[in-house]
Amino acid sequence: MLEFVGKGSATCDGVNRRSFLKVGSLALGGLTLPQLLKAQAASKPAKKRSVILIWQAGGPSHIDMYDLKPNAPSEIRGEFKPIATNVPGIQIGEHLPLQSKIMDKLSILRSACHTNAGHGMGAQWMLTGYQPTIEVNDNIFPSLGSVVAKMKGANDPSMPPYVNLPKLLNLGKAAYLGASYNPFAPDNDPNMEGFKVRNLSLPAKINVDRLSRRRDLLNDLDNIRRDIDTKGDLVGLDSFYKDAMEMVTNTKAQDAFDMQRESVVLRDTYGRNDLGQSCLLARRLVEAGVTFITIQAGGGWDTHGDNFKGLKNNLLPKYDRALTALVEDLHDRGMSDDVLVMAMGEFGRTPKINPGAGRDHWPGAMSVVYAGGGLKMGQVVGSTNANAEYPTTKPATPGCVLSTMYHCLGIDHHFAFHDQAQRPMPILSEGEPIQELIG
Amino acid sequence: MFVMSFFSFVGHAAAQDSITILSPGKTIELKDAFAGWQIIANAGQADVTRVANYKSTNPKVARVDEKGFVEPVGDGQATIHVTHHGKILDVPVEVSGVSNGRPIDFRTEIVPLLSKLGCNAGGCHGKASGQNGFKLSLFGFDADFDFESIVNEGRGRRVFPANPEMSLFIQKASGQMPHGGGKRLVPNSNDYQIVKRWIAAGTPPVAKNVPIVKRIQMIPNDRIYKHGDTQQVAVVAEYTDGSFRDVTRQSEFASNLDVIAVADATGFIKAGKLSGEAAVMGRHMGHVAVTRVLVPHGEALKEIPGFKPTSQIDLLAIAKWKKLGLQPTPVCDDATFIRRLSVDLCGRLPTLEEITAFAKDTDTNKRAKLVDTLLDSSDYPAYFAMKWGSILRNSSHAGSDRASYAFHNWIRDMIARNRPYDEFVRGVVAASGEWQDAPAINWYWQSRDDQLHQVSADTSQVFLGVRLQCARCHHHPYERWGQGDYYGLTGFFTRLGKKSFGEPPPYFSSASVTSSEKNPLTGKSPEPKFLDGPEMKFSAEEDPRHALVDWMAKPDNPFFSKALVNRMWGHFLGRGLFQEVDDQRETNPPSNPELLDYLAKEFVSHKFDVKHIIRLITTSSVYQLGSEPTAYNKNDHQNFARYYARRMPAEVFLDAVNQVTGNKSGFSGISANGRAIDLPHENFGSYFLDTFDRPKRVTGCECERSTGATLAQVLLLANSDEMEGKINATQGRLAKLIKQNLPAPEVIDNLYQVSFSRLPTAKEKARSLDHVNKSDNKQQALEDLLWVILNSKEFMFNH
Repeated sequence: MLEFVGKGSATCDGVNRRSFLKVGSLALGGLTLPQLLKAQAASKPAKKRSVILIWQAGGPSHIDMYDLKPNAPSEIRGEFKPIATNVPGIQIGEHLPLQSKIMDKLSILRSACHTNAGHGMGAQWMLTGYQPTIEVNDNIFPSLGSVVAKMKGANDPSMPPYVNLPKLLNLGKAAYLGASYNPFAPDNDPNMEGFKVRNLSLPAKINVDRLSRRRDLLNDLDNIRRDIDTKGDLVGLDSFYKDAMEMVTNTKAQDAFDMQRESVVLRDTYGRNDLGQSCLLARRLVEAGVTFITIQAGGGWDTHGDNFKGLKNNLLPKYDRALTALVEDLHDRGMSDDVLVMAMGEFGRTPKINPGAGRDHWPGAMSVVYAGGGLKMGQVVGSTNANAEYPTTKPATPGCVLSTMYHCLGIDHHFAFHDQAQRPMPILSEGEPIQELIG
Repeated sequence: MFVMSFFSFVGHAAAQDSITILSPGKTIELKDAFAGWQIIANAGQADVTRVANYKSTNPKVARVDEKGFVEPVGDGQATIHVTHHGKILDVPVEVSGVSNGRPIDFRTEIVPLLSKLGCNAGGCHGKASGQNGFKLSLFGFDADFDFESIVNEGRGRRVFPANPEMSLFIQKASGQMPHGGGKRLVPNSNDYQIVKRWIAAGTPPVAKNVPIVKRIQMIPNDRIYKHGDTQQVAVVAEYTDGSFRDVTRQSEFASNLDVIAVADATGFIKAGKLSGEAAVMGRHMGHVAVTRVLVPHGEALKEIPGFKPTSQIDLLAIAKWKKLGLQPTPVCDDATFIRRLSVDLCGRLPTLEEITAFAKDTDTNKRAKLVDTLLDSSDYPAYFAMKWGSILRNSSHAGSDRASYAFHNWIRDMIARNRPYDEFVRGVVAASGEWQDAPAINWYWQSRDDQLHQVSADTSQVFLGVRLQCARCHHHPYERWGQGDYYGLTGFFTRLGKKSFGEPPPYFSSASVTSSEKNPLTGKSPEPKFLDGPEMKFSAEEDPRHALVDWMAKPDNPFFSKALVNRMWGHFLGRGLFQEVDDQRETNPPSNPELLDYLAKEFVSHKFDVKHIIRLITTSSVYQLGSEPTAYNKNDHQNFARYYARRMPAEVFLDAVNQVTGNKSGFSGISANGRAIDLPHENFGSYFLDTFDRPKRVTGCECERSTGATLAQVLLLANSDEMEGKINATQGRLAKLIKQNLPAPEVIDNLYQVSFSRLPTAKEKARSLDHVNKSDNKQQALEDLLWVILNSKEFMFNH
């Protein structure tokens, strides 16, 4: 049985290692379809929720954005000043002025942390919950979106469950969950004039009738056994054919991807750039029934050189505008409780400024933004020491950060899949939802 | 492998009821106070260790627990009565060194505990940064470091000899003080007593004269299990002074396949509900050993019905199938064979002419003939150049387009001339000169940012099948490799020089060290040392890299030939004998070691002739089995009782689509007839190839190429202008057939043959014809059929 250490536990990781073993062994053999279906059915709440993750690949600078240290020595605090927000007592960086006005609609976790300062390994850890032991640019463990796709499916059957915007994320794949849970990506920048999802609308000479006759013929002729491969790709392909036909013939998906349907004013509010328009597209997609979306917040967050210029002139204005617009838009539409927006990267950045006016990789402390999803907003959770190096209160492991998200979707993060070697692998191997957020 | 001779006690003659006990000698000798011995009691095939009863005749000398573990109490002699089903076996025990023996030793007694209790695991104090300020060496590979850490660091507050139980070390580990890792050490357990005793003794460091573990062995090292069977294993360590010691209770155990078998902390294995094979690893002081768990799919077979072995490979596979109770799927038909072989060997579909000729040929030897014909064609080197180009990371990432063309051509030429594999490897590993003469320097150039490490790691993984990267920073967790081994290999590359001009610049072997990298163990530039072999010294004139290849190519090199034959086996059979194909280690044992050995020996005795190995594999009946699972092999994923179907690789698939639809790819920068498999590097834009996961050539691992399906692939195949354009191209196959006024039935036959290498079945033909006849537009109807063919799994997969 699960054994919890008392609430006074120093970390949010309320389960000790021995309990993990018990969870793990209980989960042994827990991969049968009936059990998965049961786990899916037990998923609460019944409300159809979704998640938009803004992924700041490279590692956003926590100490310049959400965890400023104005009293630290100058080689640490840097040139940015904190500003007040619309929540008394909470300050954030001066280059996030729009977010400062909607702080009541955000919560900031300042005490996220882990121990791997490599991009590939740190990113895999934050995007899967598992720290890999080798540096590879591919999923050893299933990405968050793949897990959600497997556990929940799409909120609407004519939409894919899991989408990457604007392109496929290197570490966004399904690994041992099987190819059917890989993400879908439009593979085009929604900010581009004439943005279209490749191969989503029917080719010139094909109409719905002809496609459906082809489909019937395919069903009758494509009879090779589906159990001849050992990786389940044949089965995965079948499910994609089903999804694809649905998406192509039902205009819902095409409409959802059609950016022209948004007003010029709203498009401008999100910002006319890849991040802004991806956020807007993400809102359209969750409305249409996509369950999990990862948005790549552009490059440039790996600010080894000229950290301050890069942030204030390029990264932060775009990001501030896009995130704020998204959160406000979701509120305006009454969707804020049904959609969790998160923003994070693979780690924070070194508090000590390097000789190139940059900051280097720092997994010791990082900030994660949560908005909506039924979580408690308008608060800061956790704190770091005087130099923003390590958490001093409420340290949150990747498992804590991610289980909070799974909690919003009603997914039991102790549920175990089996990897290629038939080893039971819980969705998360450590970490429990952050109490202050789930309330 | 090492062999220890064990004496087997056998009680009673009747084989079924006999009890067998293994021990190195006629008596269990316990030579100091910390010794122990795990009795393993067998009755016939069954392990009865946990159900037998044990009694010591003299508990003042030796005690024994209900699990059959014997421990010393005082000097003298005793006998253990082992009773099972009324049968009794007496095992003599001799205890010495308890009253007047050696003192407790940090390395022999304490470090194994740190591993067993999980303190020094990678997730806890063993990780590079330690845990909450307390750091241990990963899995206890560095006893001196651990001693410093426990006794002297933290201002010595971790141990308190005056009152051992008040030591932080004990208080935390036993959960008496808050400990993030929970309660690990049970108060008053044996382990607890040992730690307490060591602290009370004043925390003595590692004694100088204490022998060191040389290797360990697990007993038994393999066994056949039924579902739910159990087995107690013992771990025996051999020391540098030649002595043995049972270290079962100081070892950790882990299974590589939990659903087949699990092992608990005392080395008790339980087979699960699934059939197959698992390797249970025992680890003690950085040494690993495995015991193999074989859970047959059915009753062991005396013979394999309906399967006619035609080669040594078949015989060796049969031996394994018999043991596992597996029955293979019958050998595939000719049509399946020619398609399968053409895809696997040449990276393309067979042509209509080839299919027809092969079907007509009545020679009983025609499959072997086809292998030879295709091996001698220009498509075999073309396809394998693509494969090796990817493994050897021949890319344009480093900016040199021309060098990557030259390297590609060099690889293809070496394969076409079937140059011995060691010569091929030498051409890469010991490449020197300008790229025009030695294009393989592109291999070095691709790694120039982290040259020493990338090249060392790739050399080991690609050519030796040993993943040594872990050992750069710490002892390999599942192997015996340590940093000394890793830096020994880097030692062969430290004198590699490159000029300061050209892209890539000329490479040469310098007379002196050019790398500033240091071996962290010595603080000096790494010295060359062969893996599992001696350290080497080279004169300024010698190029150490040639010595490295000489060593690889020695007939008795344990890695080199196995790595290549396994790579080839994995290529043709869809899975290596060990998997991944470049990860050979004791804890990842081959599914059929005899078969691996046989192929490796053949490779050596045929002077590293790759074509010979390919011929052996593809002419075997094992390669030619059908891919449809039967009731007797449906759960087989490791033993090749059927051909494991897989999607064609991206490039092959695109070429196949073009071949069937009658199109050309039209890549710029290569000849108009150039196919996707002919591309010299990865940087030729193609949405099709990217969507089907063409490797980016950034690692030497074949796993970079994934076959996973995506929605984008399906949309591309089923709903794209790109595919539609190929299907109805005015110069395409269909347009030409229609222009020839070929009747629809013949067009259908043609499409089926070029796509599937077979004619349609009567049912398929009828359904296809019906579709055409019902349609007002015959051409469109046939386009529909071609669309169906291209979207069918039978087309996409090699099966």
